[in-house]
Amino acid sequence: MPVTIPLASLILPGLGQLLSGRRARGLSILGLTLTLLGLIWWSLTPQDLSPETRPIPLKGDPANLYWLVVPVLIWAWNVWDAARPNVAPGWIPALLSTTMFFVIGWQVAEINPPVLASNIDRVMLIVRPMLRPDFIQPRAEEREGWVEIIVPCPTEAPAAADSSTGEITLTVDATCGAVGETLTVAAAGLTPDVPVELVWQSPIGDFFVLREADDPTRFRSEQPDAQGGLTTALVIPNAIPPGVDPTMPQEQRLYLRQSRPLGGWELSTNGGFILQGIYETIALALMATTLGTLGAFPFSFLAARNLMGGNAFTLVVYVVVRTILNIVRSIESLIIAIVFVVIIGLGPFAGMMAVTVHTIAALGKLFSEVIEGIDPGPIEAIRATGANWLQIVRYGVLPQVVPAFTAFTIYRWEINVRASTIIGVVGGGGIGFFLIQWINLSDYRAVSAAFLAILVVVQIMDFVSARLRERLA
Amino acid sequence: MTPEKPNRWRALRTTLTAVVVLVAYILAYRGSFVASDTPIDLRRLFSVELWSKGGPLLRDFLTPDLVDREIQPVTLQLPVPVPCGSAENGVPATTGPRLVPSVPCAAPRDKFRVEGFELQPDTELQLRWRLPSGQYFPGPFITTDADGHFSAEFEARPIVATKDGVPGQIEVELQVEVGAVKLSRAFFDVLDGVIVTIFMALIATAAAVVVAAPLSFLAAQNVTRRGRVGTAVYYLVRTVFNILRSFEAIVIATLFAFWVDFGPFAGVLALTVVTIASLGKLFSEAVEGIDPGPVEALTATGANRLQVVWFAIVPQIVPNFVSFIIYHWDINVRISTIIGYVGGGGIGYYLAQMINTGQDNKAGTAIWAIVLVVWAMDFISAEVRKRYT
Amino acid sequence: MLEVQHLHKVYPNGTRALTDVSFQVEDGEFLVVIGLSGSGKSTLLRCINRLIEPTQGKILWDGTDVTAASGAELRGIRRQIGMIFQQFNLVKRSSVLTNVLAGRLGYVGTAGSLAGVWSSADRASAVRALERVGLAEKAQSRADALSGGQQQRVAIARALMQNPKLILADEPVASLDPVLSHSILQYLEQLNREEKITVICSLHFLDLVHRYATRVIALKDGEVVFTGLPQEIDKARFKEIYGEDAIEVKAGLSA
Repeated sequence: MPVTIPLASLILPGLGQLLSGRRARGLSILGLTLTLLGLIWWSLTPQDLSPETRPIPLKGDPANLYWLVVPVLIWAWNVWDAARPNVAPGWIPALLSTTMFFVIGWQVAEINPPVLASNIDRVMLIVRPMLRPDFIQPRAEEREGWVEIIVPCPTEAPAAADSSTGEITLTVDATCGAVGETLTVAAAGLTPDVPVELVWQSPIGDFFVLREADDPTRFRSEQPDAQGGLTTALVIPNAIPPGVDPTMPQEQRLYLRQSRPLGGWELSTNGGFILQGIYETIALALMATTLGTLGAFPFSFLAARNLMGGNAFTLVVYVVVRTILNIVRSIESLIIAIVFVVIIGLGPFAGMMAVTVHTIAALGKLFSEVIEGIDPGPIEAIRATGANWLQIVRYGVLPQVVPAFTAFTIYRWEINVRASTIIGVVGGGGIGFFLIQWINLSDYRAVSAAFLAILVVVQIMDFVSARLRERLA
Repeated sequence: MTPEKPNRWRALRTTLTAVVVLVAYILAYRGSFVASDTPIDLRRLFSVELWSKGGPLLRDFLTPDLVDREIQPVTLQLPVPVPCGSAENGVPATTGPRLVPSVPCAAPRDKFRVEGFELQPDTELQLRWRLPSGQYFPGPFITTDADGHFSAEFEARPIVATKDGVPGQIEVELQVEVGAVKLSRAFFDVLDGVIVTIFMALIATAAAVVVAAPLSFLAAQNVTRRGRVGTAVYYLVRTVFNILRSFEAIVIATLFAFWVDFGPFAGVLALTVVTIASLGKLFSEAVEGIDPGPVEALTATGANRLQVVWFAIVPQIVPNFVSFIIYHWDINVRISTIIGYVGGGGIGYYLAQMINTGQDNKAGTAIWAIVLVVWAMDFISAEVRKRYT
Repeated sequence: MLEVQHLHKVYPNGTRALTDVSFQVEDGEFLVVIGLSGSGKSTLLRCINRLIEPTQGKILWDGTDVTAASGAELRGIRRQIGMIFQQFNLVKRSSVLTNVLAGRLGYVGTAGSLAGVWSSADRASAVRALERVGLAEKAQSRADALSGGQQQRVAIARALMQNPKLILADEPVASLDPVLSHSILQYLEQLNREEKITVICSLHFLDLVHRYATRVIALKDGEVVFTGLPQEIDKARFKEIYGEDAIEVKAGLSA
């Protein structure tokens, strides 16, 4: 063993291994050492924070310098390995670098398992509504009546506000009052024996359901008498929005609301949105798969080496097409969707275009590999019968590629259904569009219904396509 | 049975299938009209209106913000006494960036022309009066032409008159790029994002392997599906995998973001969950695909269930497992580029910020970085898998 | 002594693999089970160490009821019964030594074995077992680097590690060519004679049966149709067991 080999490794990690013919090992050692050094350099440079960037915990901490131990040890190991091949155990650098990657990764990714336990109350907050998915609701007739009340009283007492919308009439003992004063309201025309909810409307139109005075966690619920009459007292709530002069008299309203069960169930508002979202999702996936397959077809021929290797020009086309397919394929369809949403605008069209583009790239590559893998034998045989080019394609090429193309298309359909469920998160339409809004509004009953809908759709589509593939196989 | 019967049945079925497919397409095409401002309308793709708006945006996305140069403000000044004779006239330079007024001095309310030479080309500048007190009085905004020349009308106001022998001066401030070209700020922000993203994927994949590897044995027919308890466990684990696999990581990330706050941790948790389901399924299929012979042989030696798994099954599945793990790390890098969009953290978060604030060049930097990283990961994982199996 | 009493096996799909099979095996016998493919030979052998659960009947081994044993007791019985398979059933990616050591699993603790810790006595006896089958120099090779005959010898070494009193061999030479067949069966014969290990072996070729068996059982459609000495199988018996159309084929190269 010449001394130059370990010496080369001492100068540049992996060089000795490279020189002694162990190419893969040499390159791995070099790559690993450079990666480790680069990572240490990165962790030492302080982060230039701006409002758009998130602080990274360990960036700029001088203590990261101690990590240099790892590349130094690996460097030493590499000299040992160069001097005595197949003696130095490979687990040493593997263990060292893995440890370093995971410890740094743990900090960089801000892993903090205790938070899972300490924030468990938040989980409880969403689990309870999620157990009652908002898809259908009991059928009920909504009835309401309201009366206007001026808060606080203007200098001139307003005329007796008698309000009668529909059959419910409300009379209040005062037409105006200050926050905290007690009013007595009498109502007639209510549906007997159905509880009544008291709702206050602020000057800017927000509704507040009034709560029990002694137990603010419970909504007030009054029971009308057998004739549909109700007399009850209430305290004027402070519904004046911030920034509005509290001494200025403003029109506010008291609503009495009843919901009379009619028996049976109906689709809730959100349930309707879910159906629409699912419809859009499936429509989007179907269109995208179809257009994507049609689009992938020509590209696949251009990206097949055995068809394009003929001369320099076609070879250039092959390289360009293949590179573009590879680039586009590597971008998540959600990111493509972001671009399309900016260009086309919110909605399923942008989502469909994004999924289509991704499908063209992904299927184009798969199809081209199928074409590259076809057996030249049958083509030769059919050519030998004197068939023309189209006949060769029809009888020699198509029968070989169609089954694989179909299988890939069905497989892509499954992927596209899944992608379409979330393309709405960035504004691309479908169920995800509603889902992300419900999450932002913390409407977890609707979120849970959307989850169930996605589950059902994905499972059904998987089942259908699995059956289809089975039959075609 | 006559031979025509199945034929007729088949023809009917084919027709029915065709009709169903056709209806599905019509519904799909029209379906997007239900309540959307931008229904699926392929003609729009070729409209001038779309591309006049989308073209520049696309160009911004395609030209990433990678490098810039240090900017230094340089002020050009020239004394112009108002009124004439109140101070010495300024002498315009003859070369280099310079301001040249049409008159050497002016009376109040006189209008004259100011020309600028050899300034920054195609740049917006503001012409102004620097008052003797040191404050300035703003004048018109002007744009230089391609040669760095401008010519603008300027007015001598009474306020710019000479005070105590100090004349007012005409002035422009130039943003001069100095120093060498350097990597831009966006480049470093994106680098940070990419590194965080890779680590998110790494941690999530590792965590998922730790959970999925043992669970996959429970979801493998040939290991677990024995007896009533075994069968129940088998179906339970399999169902859980299937349910979790129906949801994309980004959806689960929104829930975790609520639980542990926005940040990379939420993304890692979501990635872990979907990876457990996906790896668990792949692993269990690998376990089901093993050669049953060694299992039988070791059972015959009197080894217990755990020993059989360890000595007869594990050695057979290691290559598959390693290949799946590397493959999933690759997939997870890809997913975590987008997971930041809702869960915070990583390159996705930066991308969302840039899109929302309309900094499309920087968004372009992020997108290109994602392409590069995903491509590199794809290549590395393919190479490693090829070598290992 | 092994005693099989009225053994029945019906598979869940309704196939009757064994019907009322009864026989006895004295210690030190080389019992060969013959019969057509699907006659129930493999099922019978696997019922003896309960790799397959018999539907009905009893198996007594040295007075212990194998069919009633479960859990640790069953594993205790299994570890005294070595088994060799047609497809060798080695863990292909593990080393030869690990494959042989796996024969000790029934004797060692779970934790230690999972951690890969073996006593020096176990390692020494693994090397001895490999020496016995002439493969000591292959100890560190991967099992799939070996030829078929070598793999079957490793499997014999693995069975030896159990210190078996009984070896079940399920078509041990069906995947091997005639020369190797004899060498494998000679190893078994040697164990049977020198170590007094009882051997129950299923075989295809009649000439091998004549050469190695001390006693023969023939199965047909899951029933015992013949019990006796190998030389008792004449032309008529042969037709009875294998059906009218059968022609005797020799494994060749009678050693």
